[in-house]
Amino acid sequence: MLRIALRTLRFRTGTFIATFLAMAFGAVIVLACGGLLETGVRTDMPPERLAAAPLVVTGNQDYELPKQNPDDPEEDAETGTLAERVRLDSGLLDKIESVPGVASAVGDLTFPATVGATTVNGHGWSSAALTPTRLTAGHEPGPGQVVFGPGHRLGERVTIVAGAQPRTFTVAGLSASPDVFFADPDATRLAGHPGRVDAIGVLTKPGADLGRVEQGVGQAVRGAPAVVLTGDDRGVAEHVEAGKASENLIILASVFGGLAISVALFVVATTLGLSVQQRQRELALLRAIGSTPGQLRRMVIGESVAMSVFATALGCLLGVPFGQWLFGRLAAAGMVPEQLVFRAGWIPMLVAVGSSLLISLVAAFVAARRAARTRPTEALADAAVQRRWLSAIRLILAVLCFGGGIALFIVTIAVMTGPIAASTAGPSVLLWAIGLALIAPGITRVMVGVLRWPVRAVSGTAGYLATLNARSRTVRMAAVVTPIMLATGIATANIYLQTTQVAVANQAYAENLRADLVLTSSTGGVPATFVDQVRHVPGVAAASGFASTTGYVAAPYDGSQSEDGWLIQGVSADGAAETTAVKLTAGRLADLRGDSVVLPAAHAKTLGRGVGDTITMKMGDGATVDVRIVGLYPGREGFETLLMPADLVAAHTTAGLPTQVMVRAAPGVSTDALAAELTKLLAGRPGVVVADRDVLTAAYAKDQEIGAWINYLMAGMIVAYTAISVVNSQVMATSARRREFGLQRLTGSTRGQVVRMMFVEAGLVSVIGIVLGTIVSTTTLVPFTLVTDGSLLPHGPAWLYLGVIGTAAALTVVSTLLTTWVTLRPRPAEAAVAPA
Amino acid sequence: MRQMNEMSADVVRLTDVRKTYGGKRNSVVALNGVSIGFGRATFTAVMGPSGSGKSTFLHCAAGLDRPTGGAVVVEDQNLAELSEVELTRLRRERIGFVFQAFNLLPALTVQENVTLPLRLAGRRAKPELVSRVIEQVGLADRRKHLPGELSGGQQQRVAIARALVTRPAVIFADEPTGALDTRTARDVLGLLRGAVDHAGQTVVMVTHDPVAASYADRVVFLADGKFVGRLAHPTAEAVAERMTHLGAWAEREPAGAR
Repeated sequence: MLRIALRTLRFRTGTFIATFLAMAFGAVIVLACGGLLETGVRTDMPPERLAAAPLVVTGNQDYELPKQNPDDPEEDAETGTLAERVRLDSGLLDKIESVPGVASAVGDLTFPATVGATTVNGHGWSSAALTPTRLTAGHEPGPGQVVFGPGHRLGERVTIVAGAQPRTFTVAGLSASPDVFFADPDATRLAGHPGRVDAIGVLTKPGADLGRVEQGVGQAVRGAPAVVLTGDDRGVAEHVEAGKASENLIILASVFGGLAISVALFVVATTLGLSVQQRQRELALLRAIGSTPGQLRRMVIGESVAMSVFATALGCLLGVPFGQWLFGRLAAAGMVPEQLVFRAGWIPMLVAVGSSLLISLVAAFVAARRAARTRPTEALADAAVQRRWLSAIRLILAVLCFGGGIALFIVTIAVMTGPIAASTAGPSVLLWAIGLALIAPGITRVMVGVLRWPVRAVSGTAGYLATLNARSRTVRMAAVVTPIMLATGIATANIYLQTTQVAVANQAYAENLRADLVLTSSTGGVPATFVDQVRHVPGVAAASGFASTTGYVAAPYDGSQSEDGWLIQGVSADGAAETTAVKLTAGRLADLRGDSVVLPAAHAKTLGRGVGDTITMKMGDGATVDVRIVGLYPGREGFETLLMPADLVAAHTTAGLPTQVMVRAAPGVSTDALAAELTKLLAGRPGVVVADRDVLTAAYAKDQEIGAWINYLMAGMIVAYTAISVVNSQVMATSARRREFGLQRLTGSTRGQVVRMMFVEAGLVSVIGIVLGTIVSTTTLVPFTLVTDGSLLPHGPAWLYLGVIGTAAALTVVSTLLTTWVTLRPRPAEAAVAPA
Repeated sequence: MRQMNEMSADVVRLTDVRKTYGGKRNSVVALNGVSIGFGRATFTAVMGPSGSGKSTFLHCAAGLDRPTGGAVVVEDQNLAELSEVELTRLRRERIGFVFQAFNLLPALTVQENVTLPLRLAGRRAKPELVSRVIEQVGLADRRKHLPGELSGGQQQRVAIARALVTRPAVIFADEPTGALDTRTARDVLGLLRGAVDHAGQTVVMVTHDPVAASYADRVVFLADGKFVGRLAHPTAEAVAERMTHLGAWAEREPAGAR
């Protein structure tokens, strides 16, 4: 039976290629997402600077969130990633060195050092052994001396800004490394955290058993918040942001991988369904001459699975380079460190192969059900027009999908807050799309009925024929409408989710920013005393230090806390009231000194704490701090931020210093004049610049755009996939009408008349698809915009929507007309008698 | 109307078969109580004007469609008692088909098309039987050709070979010469006639062509879903005369036609 099916393949190359492409591209996308997922999970980063150290000890960046009931073993503990570098106590060095097999343990320090306009990494000279970095000229650095990279000469005096202070050093040696090396005591002072190191590189004795040493080191650091890294994991110690990036990568890959699998199922099922519909006569003939329904079912399934095996193989071949390319784009956008190695091993391969085969199998089951229902008398009937389409199963599934869609709608509005409301968007789009697809023949019929009159009014005979065709072939027409609906729906929903999210975030940021001018540092921060100096500049009404980080509420139990933690902003008690828009409902901002915090009122309520109470915070660097609540403010939903003193926050960041100073001009003082005054103050401080608030909001908006761009990239991939299926289904559906076109031309139609008729039909199909797609995206967007913004309409330019529907219509019309033209090539008499 | 039962000698017997299409409000009666039997090694032509129920009759008799009422018995097996799968099995073992058009799978060669019913039944085709059948229809030198490379008459002969290869109890032919020219049609009809005379095959053929009908042992006439007459040892002229009469008769009572 399968042999027969495969033999007939070459007589329907069009549908074969369409189905094959749908399956192959599905596998490509699933594998690419799988690869990104594995890359995120593995976080393989070959070490560069620490390459000579077979073992690297680094701070544990994982934080296990407190459980509601710590004694309940059933409750899952969520794990967050600490945002700042967790440093290690220097005391560990001796412990590690006493482990047998360890030659030496080197405490590594890394801090930004700015020379002129460029910022490089500064280290102590002892770190040189970890790469190893060798002198190409000169000698090791003594106090006040450095070893510098290419472009410098021995004896040169250079001014280096490190730890926010400019100092002059003499170049004592040269190396091939771009980094700058200081004498160890200098480095310790410049890094600003004596007694703690960023990482410890462990050099082993020749012939030492690495496994045994690793075990020994592990025991030596037990009790400290440290992890021992080997192999390709060591690179993570060099790039502390890799942990967070991997986590984001995992989320991104799972979200879009899941979407890709559902869309692939949808697309493959539609394509297979269409191909079975077009083989109705062949199937009916087989039934008439003695195939049982079961045999037809097995034939369709077997054929699909056989096809899927080859399609999946091709998909796997292309999926790895495609995933690599995607990863390259993400790295180029700065979402993941470039040093991360893309891995698509056997697990994503297995997932891609398994899911692709499963998708084909499920889709084939659906198509085969229809094939098995073929009645043998259809072989004898002249025209195969399907009228009945609504089965009980279809109805039940449609009701379930709509029910799910409505439930998500309600859940989004009722439970979700702020940006996380977007998380229901993906499933919501699919539920509505599948639900509408299931009842598409009915909707198509109604819409054709409505559109019939205007279409006939403007397009004459062509429109008359087109609407007649559309009315009598609603089932077939619905099959080509659904991909258009899906493409329009997914594209519109994803685009406007992003534009809305970006707009709302920018708005929230701008609203909160009351400063007129901002001093920002490109050298890792501004000294803590700098704020006071700024405050005394004439024309300054208020100045506040600024630092931000992410932390967790360690106690009491915080039910509203996610593994992403809370955004913490550090501000100065003296200037915060004037430089931010925060208005306290209880307490005073001026009390924000020492170990204290100002909470959003709703958050404090969740915690059951009020002004005067104390909560325990886990800061970004892993330190635990007890802070007193000194005030409450009404935070904007979804953008809640904890406020703490700037120096407290800065002390627990990797940089260790406030990053910015916010300045509010006194009444009557122009920002330009103030900027000029401040520039004078900055004369001796390379790396600090004055910027007005527009620069700041623009920079924030740019960061937001990067995040949005990544989502566009991933969604674009899936939209492109559905676009392929739009073209696929148009080509399939049109080329199957060869006989009909032939007959029509025998009756006196010119080619032009047929093409015009198909133009109107394609227009009808696009309009119906676009309307349904818009409904799908609306059902997704409305709850989201309601929650984030309180409005019904999304933010973002209207031309994006026009672009989406324009593209969808253009794809539909062009692919239909091209196929029509090709189909019209044979002489009408030949076409009319050809087997359907 | 006369009963035409020749009882147990019949290969196929229809008793009071009714078939209505559509729902309650817009129902159309296609067969209105049809009873007939087809004896072994007989060649029957079923004739009637358009909409007389010829096709529906053929579909019901061949087990392609299920009647609304009455019984169809093929070789003592009542088709109503069979499940869809059992019905299909009976069809491929005991019933052969020749249709007007789209008879063959375009991707399969002549030989593969002929052996398809055997393969569907999971049986091995005996090479000498297959060769004999293909030779019988005069296509011995075309067995590796695809249907697209054959003329209409040759394609129809392949279809007859396919119908013969399972040695069915009965062959149903639906306008087998409808798409053929006179000379080719004569070849095809000769083949069917030969199958009845030499192999003892039973053939039931629906046609509207009096010449085609003249190859049959008898002709039965359908109008408005009922048998309205029969003619033994027909000649083309006699059949044509009767058909003209039937046409007029059908015009007088156009209601219920299908």
